[in-house]
Amino acid sequence: MTTTNIVMIGVSTGGPIALKRLFADLPPLNAAFVIVLHIPSGMDYRIARSLDAVAAMPVALAEDGDYLRRGHIYLAPGGFHLKLEGNSRIILEEGPRVNFVQPSADVAMKSLLRPLKQRQIIGVVLTGMGKDGAEGIQHIKALGGITIAQDKKSSAIYGMPKAASDTGAVDFVLSLDKIGCKLVELLAGSEEPLPHND
Amino acid sequence: MDSKIMIVDDEEMIREAAEMLFQAEGIDLVTASSGKECLGYLESGFRGVILMDVMMPVMDGWDTIRDIVGKGLYEGNIIVMLTAMDAPGDKMEGLQEYVTDYITKPFYIQTLLESIHYYLSLLQTEEDVA
Repeated sequence: MTTTNIVMIGVSTGGPIALKRLFADLPPLNAAFVIVLHIPSGMDYRIARSLDAVAAMPVALAEDGDYLRRGHIYLAPGGFHLKLEGNSRIILEEGPRVNFVQPSADVAMKSLLRPLKQRQIIGVVLTGMGKDGAEGIQHIKALGGITIAQDKKSSAIYGMPKAASDTGAVDFVLSLDKIGCKLVELLAGSEEPLPHND
Repeated sequence: MDSKIMIVDDEEMIREAAEMLFQAEGIDLVTASSGKECLGYLESGFRGVILMDVMMPVMDGWDTIRDIVGKGLYEGNIIVMLTAMDAPGDKMEGLQEYVTDYITKPFYIQTLLESIHYYLSLLQTEEDVA
């Protein structure tokens, strides 16, 4: 079981720009970030590279077997579902599409387990068509996590965030800018360093 | 063919406005008045950012994207829907991963240009690596 906080983000159309804006403004934070963006293979590494160029935290395509590290950002590659084993080890799986997509935010979020004491899980659903992430957000809420959905005005397509919000399991509906502020508020300096995990 | 932007719209006025806008920006542009014409450019080697209208006669934007993907012509392109429709209908189901952005008219020109420059930079990355 990981000892880091986890922020898991589900996002689709409009996502590349939204992620760029979000991470360009975020300082290094006390969490591992896992992004599930609906994207084909061939485009995924370009998005990771562009995010890495603007983010204060390192960004890489998630690889099967990777262990989450605090202060790192992992982008799920296209063509696979991403799951976490023990909230710490990345598993990439082939398999049928879920909610018409692969990777699916629901698959990734529903693989999360109840975190250790003093650790947080934060689920975020950003712009996108469809309802991927809605079940995942309910799961994160049921685990005692904190849940955030992007608001209509700042979403290119207010489908996924609305579906998440309609479940009643979303704690905060916020503009993209305010999502960044909320993450800082929730994560910055919230605990002492954990050298054995870094 | 090294054009970087393709606008696909059945309305001539929109295509002309796009020509003026992108020429002023120094960005090469090709215009297509239908999905069929768009596919023709892709088959001829166009690679770049495709600005696609949703509502077009005969073959709409979603049908056009299905054909682009089905014919193996997606690789190396970025597709952005430029539409008056506030929300996409069910026809977008299954195409999410191929639609990088969905920009609703009216839009701010400056915001559109910033987005397009970002998408062009994503494609440039691949060329740098190759």
